[in-house]
Amino acid sequence: MKIADLTKTFGKITAVDAVSFSIDQPQMIGVIGPSGAGKSTLLRMINRLTDATRGSIQINDREILQLSGREKRRWQRDCAMIFQQFNLVPRLNVVTNVLMGRLNGHSTLKSLFSIFGRHMVDEALAALDRLGIADQALQRAETLSGGQQQRVAIARALMQQPKMVLADEPIASLDPLSAEKVMTALREIRDRDNLTVLCNLHTLDTARTYCDRVIGMLQGSIVFDDVPSKLTPSVVRDIYGADQELNESVTSTSIPGPVFIPEPMRIRKPALA
Amino acid sequence: MSLYAIQTEIMAMEKKRRLYSMAGIVLIAAVLISGYGLANDLNSGGFLTGMQQFFDYPSEIVKEAWAAGFSFFLVMGRFVPALVETLNIAGAASIVGGTLAVVLAFLGSANLGVKPPVVVTIVRRIMDIMRAFPELIIALFLIFILGSSPVPAMIAVAIHTAGALGKLFSEVNENADADPVEGLASCGATWLQRMRYGVLPQVLPNYLSYFMLRFEINVRASAILGFVGAGGIGMELRRTIGWGKGAGDETAALFMLLILSIFVIDQLSSFIRRRLVTGRDPE
Amino acid sequence: MASSTLAIQPPAPISGSLAVFSRLRRSSLMIMAGTGLMVLYLLYTFISFDLWHLISRSQPQRAVLLATDAVAHKVHITKNIRGAGRLSIAVEGERTATYETPPGWVTVSDDLTRVDLAQGYRVDIYDTHVIFQIPDIGPVHVRITDAGIKTTLPKGVDPPDWLRATSAKFDARPTLGRRVQVSKARIEVHRYFMGWENFFFPFRSELTAYSPGQLFALAFSDQRIDPDMPNWRLMFTTFWKNPGWQHKQVFVALLETFLMAILGTLTAALVGLPLAVLAAANFTPAQALRFVVRRVFDFLRGIDMLIWSLIFIRAFGLGPLTGALAIAFTDTGSLGKLFSEALEGVNNKQMEGVHATGANRLQFYRFGVIPQIIPVFVSQTLYYLEANVRSATIIGALGAGGIGLMLVEAMNTQRHWENVFYLILLTISLVMVMDTVSAKVRSRLIHGRSGT
Ligand SMILES: Nc1ncnc2c1ncn2[C@@H]1O[C@H](COP(=O)(O)OP(=O)(O)O)[C@@H](O)[C@H]1O
Ligand SMILES: [Mg+2]
Repeated sequence: MKIADLTKTFGKITAVDAVSFSIDQPQMIGVIGPSGAGKSTLLRMINRLTDATRGSIQINDREILQLSGREKRRWQRDCAMIFQQFNLVPRLNVVTNVLMGRLNGHSTLKSLFSIFGRHMVDEALAALDRLGIADQALQRAETLSGGQQQRVAIARALMQQPKMVLADEPIASLDPLSAEKVMTALREIRDRDNLTVLCNLHTLDTARTYCDRVIGMLQGSIVFDDVPSKLTPSVVRDIYGADQELNESVTSTSIPGPVFIPEPMRIRKPALA
Repeated sequence: MSLYAIQTEIMAMEKKRRLYSMAGIVLIAAVLISGYGLANDLNSGGFLTGMQQFFDYPSEIVKEAWAAGFSFFLVMGRFVPALVETLNIAGAASIVGGTLAVVLAFLGSANLGVKPPVVVTIVRRIMDIMRAFPELIIALFLIFILGSSPVPAMIAVAIHTAGALGKLFSEVNENADADPVEGLASCGATWLQRMRYGVLPQVLPNYLSYFMLRFEINVRASAILGFVGAGGIGMELRRTIGWGKGAGDETAALFMLLILSIFVIDQLSSFIRRRLVTGRDPE
Repeated sequence: MASSTLAIQPPAPISGSLAVFSRLRRSSLMIMAGTGLMVLYLLYTFISFDLWHLISRSQPQRAVLLATDAVAHKVHITKNIRGAGRLSIAVEGERTATYETPPGWVTVSDDLTRVDLAQGYRVDIYDTHVIFQIPDIGPVHVRITDAGIKTTLPKGVDPPDWLRATSAKFDARPTLGRRVQVSKARIEVHRYFMGWENFFFPFRSELTAYSPGQLFALAFSDQRIDPDMPNWRLMFTTFWKNPGWQHKQVFVALLETFLMAILGTLTAALVGLPLAVLAAANFTPAQALRFVVRRVFDFLRGIDMLIWSLIFIRAFGLGPLTGALAIAFTDTGSLGKLFSEALEGVNNKQMEGVHATGANRLQFYRFGVIPQIIPVFVSQTLYYLEANVRSATIIGALGAGGIGLMLVEAMNTQRHWENVFYLILLTISLVMVMDTVSAKVRSRLIHGRSGT
C-alpha cells in the first residue's frame, strides 16, 4: 500500500497535509499526535468515509481514491474500521450488529427482511466467541459495557473478512482493563490473521507496547515514522509541541503494579449518550 | 453595573413583558368579540334562536331511537358494513400514506446523505404541498373523475397522511444518532442498508406512535368525506339526515357506531403509544 | 500489504448456536409476516372497494377537460338552424358575454361566415353547409340535410379517431383547443384561448378596453368615466361585483372559513385551559371531579366533528357561527386533554418555590404555572388552528358554508372549472399561509424567547 501526497482541507483548515508513506508488509502501526493533528481524517480517507482533496492511495496498482459505487463499498468492506464511539446500532442485538459486517454483498431484499443464513450466523458467533462475548449474542448492544461494545465492533470488523483494519482511538473511551483487552485483540489480528492494523492512539506507551511502527503527526503532516524504540523524549516533544510538558505516565493506559488509575489525557465525551 | 441599574433593568423588562401580555389578551378578546359578532351576522340562524333549538335535534333522534326499542340494535347491525368501509378507507389510507411518508421522510431528511442534496429540498416542498391540500378538494376532484366510491376518499386521505406523517417522520430522522450510520458506511453498506439498519431501528418506536395518532385522525376524516360522496358511514348519514323526520333511529344508530369506534380506537392507540414510550422489554 | 484473507476457523459448534439462529430467523419471519399481512389487507380493501371496476369505469378525459377549462377559456360561434339562422359569438356561450361586432378572426358576410382557427385550421359556414379545413387532411364537408348529417372526407382519408360522424351528429376535435359540432339544430365552433376570461372586469364593462398601464393612469386621473365616482372606485366596484367571478362572495366565503377556524380554535383553547386544570392530578385533588372533567373531554372528542357539525347546522343554520361552534366543541376536548397532560408534566420545584414566597393563589398560577405551560399552550393552539383551517373547509362542505360549500357547489354544476380552480388555489393559499405563519411563531416560541 502506497500513500502519496494525501491532502484534505476543510475550508481554510488543512487537516491532512501532503502525507506520504507506504506499508510493505503486514504490521501494526500506531498513529500518534495531539488532538487535531489529522489522525482521524487520515483514517477516514483511507476507508473512504471522507473524500480526499488531493493525493493517491495505491494498492497493487489500484487507485483507491478513484473507486466509486459498488467498488468503493467493496473496498470499505476490505478495510474494516473501528471507532472511538464503537458506532454500533444500539437497538439491535449483538449478533445482528456483527452480521452488519457482511451487509456488503448481501442482497437488498434479504437485507430489508433481515434474512441471514445459518452459515453466516455461525461465523458471527465464532467471531464473538474469539473475543469472548458469544454469551451476550442476543443482548441489545446498548446494554453492554463500553469495552464489550468495542469488542463487538471488532467482531464486526472480523466478520468483514478484511484485508486491513483501521482503528480510530479504539480505547480512548474505555477503562484500562477493557482497553488492554481491545488492544490485545487488535494485536492478535496482526499476529494470527497476518493483517495490517493502522491504529490511532493518544497514549505513547500503548503505541510502544503494541505497535511495530509508529507514525507521528503534527498539524496534518508526518513528523515521525519509525520503530517505537526511536521515540525519544525529544521526538515526543516535537510531536506534541515544544511547549507541552508531557509526563508519559500520565497518558498511560497500562496497569503498572497494584492500583493505578490513570487520568485521561483530555476530557472526552462519555461512552454513550 | 450597579445593583440599582440591574434592578431598574429587570423592572423595565418586567414592565415590557406585562405590556406584551396585556396587548395579547386585549387582542385575543377583540378577535373573539368582533369575530363572534361578525359570525353571528353572517350566520343564517342567530345564536339565540339556535341555542333554543340546540337540543331539539339530538332529543328528536334519541326519542326515535328509544321508540325503536330493541330493533335499534338491529338497525345498528345493518350499518356495520358501512362502518367497516369507513374503517377500511382509513386503514388503507394510513398504510399507503404511511409507507409513502417513510419514503418521503428518508429522502427529505438533511442528515442522511441523500444525493444530490437538492432532492431533500424538493421532497420537503412536495410534503408541504401534500399537507396543505385539504382532503376535501382531492376527494371531490377524484369523485368527479372516478365516480362515487371509497377510493377517492382513500387516495385523498393517503395524500394528506403522506405529507403530514412525512414531515413528522423526517423530524424524527433528523434527531437520530449518526454514529451507527457511519459505522455501517465503513463496512461498505449501501444507502438503503444504512437506512434499514442504522436509522430505522432508532426511529421506529416514534414512527409507530405517530402512526397510531394519525390512524385515529384518519378514521374521523374518512367518516366526514363519506358525506361528500365517498361511501362508508358518512354517506349513510347523509342519506338518513336527508330524509328528515322518520329516520331518526337510523341516524342515532350511525352516530352511535361512529362514536363507539372512535372511542375504541382512541383507547387502543393511547394504550399502544404508552407502551411504546415507556419502552419495551430490554431483552 | 497482506493479501491473505482473514479466515475465521470453520464455524466452531458454539453452544447455543442453533438457538441464536432460530431466534434471528423468528424475528425475520415476523418482519415478513407483518409486511405480508399489510399487503394482504391492502389487497382485501382494494377488492372490497372494487378498484378494478372503478378504474375501468373512470373517465380520465374528464380530468383533461377539467384541466383545459381550468386554465383556458373558449369562445363559442353558434349558428342556430331553427332560429332563422341566427349567428352568435359569445365567451363560453354565455348570453351576457356576446360580441356585438365579431372579433377579428371571424368574418361575416351575407352567405358566408368564416372562422379562422389559426395554424391553418378554418371553418367556412354557408347556410347549412360547413367546410372544415384541416391541415394534412384537407377540407371536410358537412351538410345538414333532411335525411340527417352528411359528412364527406377528402378521397382516401380514413376517419381519424378524434372525429365522430353519424347521421345525427358531427363532432370533430382535432386539437384540444379547436372543436366543431354540427347537429340538425345548430352548428357550433369552439376556439380556446389561454387564461381566465374577464377575471377583473365583466365582459360588458367599458374597463375591459384598457391595458394595465392605462388602467393605472386612469385610476388617478380626474377625468371620470362614471361621473358619480372616482375612477379607482369604479374599478374596484366593477371588479368586486364581477358576476362571473364573484370576488365579493368568494372573499366573504374565505373570511367565513377563516372565522370558523380562528373562533373555534380560540374558544376551544380558552375553555379547555381552565377545564384542564380541573383534570390535572397535581392541581385538583378531588378524584371524582377529575374523573368527570376527563370524561367530558372524551365525550367532546369522541362525538367527532362530523356529528357536532350536523347538530349545529340543524340548530344554527348556515354560516361561520355554526362551523366555529362545531370546531370549538370538538377541540375543547382535544386541547383540554393535551393541556391537562402538559399540566401534569410541569416542574413541581418551580411551583413550590413560588408557594414558599407566600404567594396567593392567583400569583401562584401567574408565576409558578403559566410560564411553564405557555409554550405548550400557544404552540398546540397554533397547531390546531392550522389543522382547523382545513377542517373548516370540510365542515363548510357539509353545509356550514364558507369556501368549502362554495367549492362543492361550483363542482356540482360541472361547469366553470376555471372558477373551481380559482377557489382551490385560494383555499390552498389560505392553508399554506396559515401553516407558514404558525410554523414561524411556533419556532420563535421554542427557539427564540425562552420560558416566559
Ligand atoms: N468534518 C469536518 N469539518 C471541518 N473541519 C474538520 C472536520 N473534521 C475534522 N476537521 C478539522 O480537521 C482537523 C483534524 O481533525 P482530526 O482528523 O479529527 O484530528 P485528530 O483525530 O488528530 O484529533 C481539526 O482541525 C478539525 O477541526
Ligand atoms: Mg480523532
